[in-house]
Amino acid sequence: MAIPSESNLSIPAPKPLSRWERLRPTRRTRRQLIRAGLGVAIFVAFNALLVLLFGVNILNFTITGLSVSSIVIVAAIGLTLIYGIRGFANFAHGDIMSLGAYVALLVNAYGVSLIWGAIVSFVVLALVGILLEILVFSRLEGRGPVPPIVASVGVGLIIQNGIRTIATTRPRIYPVEAVQQIPIVPGLGVHPISHLLTPGVGLLFVISAYVLLRYTNLGKAMRATADNLELAKATGIDTKRVTYATWAVSCSFASTAGVLLGLSTLLRPEMGFNVLLLIFAAVIVGGIGSPWGAILGGLVIGLSQEMSVPVFVWLGQSDVIGLSNATAYKIAIPFIVMIVVLILRPWGIAGRAPAFTGRVYFIENLARAMGRGPKSTQPIKEEGGG
Amino acid sequence: MAVDTGILINVGFYVSFSIIFAILALGFNLQWGFTGLFNAGIAGFFLIGAYTAAIAITPYAPPSTGYPGHLGGYQLPLAIGALLAMLVSGLTAAVVALPTVRLRADYLAIATIAFAEVVRTVAINLEPITAGTIGIVGIPHLLEFSGPNAAFLNMATVVGVGALILLGLFFGLHYIVESPWGRVLRAIREDEEATMALGKNTFLYKIQVFAIGGALMGLAGWLFAVTLLYIEPSGSFAPAITFSVWVMVIVGGAGNLRGAMVGAFVVYGLEWLSVQLKDLAPDFLKEAIPYLRLVVVGFLLIILIILRPEGILREKKRVLR
Repeated sequence: MAIPSESNLSIPAPKPLSRWERLRPTRRTRRQLIRAGLGVAIFVAFNALLVLLFGVNILNFTITGLSVSSIVIVAAIGLTLIYGIRGFANFAHGDIMSLGAYVALLVNAYGVSLIWGAIVSFVVLALVGILLEILVFSRLEGRGPVPPIVASVGVGLIIQNGIRTIATTRPRIYPVEAVQQIPIVPGLGVHPISHLLTPGVGLLFVISAYVLLRYTNLGKAMRATADNLELAKATGIDTKRVTYATWAVSCSFASTAGVLLGLSTLLRPEMGFNVLLLIFAAVIVGGIGSPWGAILGGLVIGLSQEMSVPVFVWLGQSDVIGLSNATAYKIAIPFIVMIVVLILRPWGIAGRAPAFTGRVYFIENLARAMGRGPKSTQPIKEEGGG
Repeated sequence: MAVDTGILINVGFYVSFSIIFAILALGFNLQWGFTGLFNAGIAGFFLIGAYTAAIAITPYAPPSTGYPGHLGGYQLPLAIGALLAMLVSGLTAAVVALPTVRLRADYLAIATIAFAEVVRTVAINLEPITAGTIGIVGIPHLLEFSGPNAAFLNMATVVGVGALILLGLFFGLHYIVESPWGRVLRAIREDEEATMALGKNTFLYKIQVFAIGGALMGLAGWLFAVTLLYIEPSGSFAPAITFSVWVMVIVGGAGNLRGAMVGAFVVYGLEWLSVQLKDLAPDFLKEAIPYLRLVVVGFLLIILIILRPEGILREKKRVLR
C-alpha cells in the first residue's frame, strides 16, 4: 500500500471568499426565504381565487391586519424582552401602553405637536419602567413566576384606575386632522395614518430593536442575560443595569404602541388592557422571550384576526347562520391560534424545541390519564431498611 | 308591624356578596393555594355558572321592542339550576384544563384569562341565547314572599341559603384537602416531578382540581344570579372580579380554607364600606370612588405580595413524624 504523499495529507488553505460569496445566504436563510416566498405566493393565489369565485377582495383586510400587527409587534417586543430578562409575564404592559398614550395627550394639550408628545411620553415611560423595577419587581426576584404576575396586575389596576380618576372615563381623541382614504383601485383604499404611518413606525421600531439587540453592546448584554443570568454575571455583565435598560426599552416601546393605538381608535383608560391579551397571544405564538418570535407572532395574530372578518361577515348572513354581531367574534381567533400553538408547539412557532424535555404532548398525557398510554417499565422494588 | 328593614337589607347585601366571593375564593384557593394552578379565568367560570343557572330557572322571555329575548323558559327547580351550573362550569373547566394545565404558571394565567375574555365576548354578542348587553332579567327568588317585609325576607333567605352552602363547602373541602387525595395536591404544588416519581398521575389530579374549582365558581354564579335577580355580561364578569378574588386569597392566606373565607369578607367589606361612605366624600371625589377603590386593591396586591405573601392566616405547618 502506497504511503500517501505529503501533498495529499495537507489540508488545502481556504480560498479567500469574494465579496459576492460572503454575501451569499446560508442554507438556513435560503430555506427561510423560500418559505416566505411560498407563503406570499399562496396568499396571493388564495386572494385571486376568492376574487374570482366570490368577488370578495381580502386585500383590504390584509392592510388593516398589517396595521393592527404593527401595533401588536411594537408592544410585543417590549413584553417579550421583559419576559426574557425577568422571567415573568407583565400583566401591566397594556396599561403602560394606555399611560403612554395619555402622557402624549397631556403634552399635546399644552400646544406641542403630537410627535413631540410621543417623544416626551417615550422618555417619561422609560423612567416609569425603571421606577417600577426599583420599587416593585426587584423585590420579587427569585420567587417564581406567580408573585410578579400578581404585582403586575396590581400595577395595571393602579395605572388604569389612576387614569380614570384623573382624566375621567370620557373617551378622548388626538387632535389630528381627519384625513381621507387615498383610493388605489375601486373598493381598495389606503388610509394615511392607520395604513401608512402605523406600519411605517412599526417597521422603524422593528429595525431599531434589531440593531439594538444585534449590534450594540447593550443588546448583546441583554441577550446574554436573558439566555443565562448566572453566566452573564460571571462574564462581568452588570445585569442590574441591563435589567433597568430592558425596562426602559420595554416601557418606551409600549408608550409608542399606545400612541399608535390611540391614533387608530379613541383613547380610553381600558384601551391598553383590551389589547393586552392580543399581545400575549402574539408573544406566545412566536415563542415567549424571543424578539424575532414576537414579530412573527404579531404578524400571525394581527392578520388572522382581521382576515377572519370576511368569514364572520359571511357567517352573519341570514342564509348561512345569521349570527348577530358576527364581526365581534374576531377577537376569539387570536386565542384559538394561541391555544392550538400551545397544544402543538408550546415553545412557539419560531422557538426551538427544548432538547432536554421529553415531548409530552397533551394527547399522550390524555392517553396516560385514561390508563392506556406508555407505562413505566417496572415498579421499583423496595430495598430493605430505610 | 312593618319594621324599618333598610339597614338590615343593606347588611344582608354585604353578607350575601361576601359569601359569593368566599365561594369563588374557595374554588381559586383549591386550584392555586393547594395545587399551585394559577387560574386567571375565574370570571369566566363564574359567568358560565350564572348564565347556565339563569337560563335554566328563568321563565320564558319573548323578544320584544328593546329586548332581544334569550334562550330559556325551562323553569327548572332552583336546586337543579345550581347543579346544572356546577356541572357545566366544572365540565368547561376540565375541557379548558386539558390543553393548558400542563403549562407553566404564567402560560396558564394567560390562557385562562384569554378564555374568560372570549366567554365574556360571546355572552355580550350571542343575543339569541344571552340577550346581549341587556342581560337576563326576571330570575326568580329563592322563595316567593309577599307583604311589606318581602324584600327583607328575600334577603334573609339568600343569606341563610348562602351561609348553609358556605358551611357545607367548608366542611366538605376540609375533608377532601385533609384526605390522601388532598395530600397529593400539596405534593404537586411543592414538587410536581417528585410526585410523578412516586407514581402519582399528576395530570389527572390537576384536571380534577381544575374541574372542582370550576364547579365551585359555577355555584357562586348561581348564587349571584338568585341574589341579584338579573345578570349582564359587561360589568359583573369583568377581569376585575378575578383580580378581586386574587386579593381575597392573598389577604386571607393561600392554602388555607379559613383564610380564603376571611379574605373574602374583609376585602368585600372594604368595597362595601366605600360604597356606604360615598356620601361623606367630598364632591370632586364622588365620581371617582369606584376607581379609587380599585387603585387601593392594586396597592394591596403589590404590598401584600411583597411584604406578607402568606396572608393573615398562614397555612398550617405540617411536620412529618
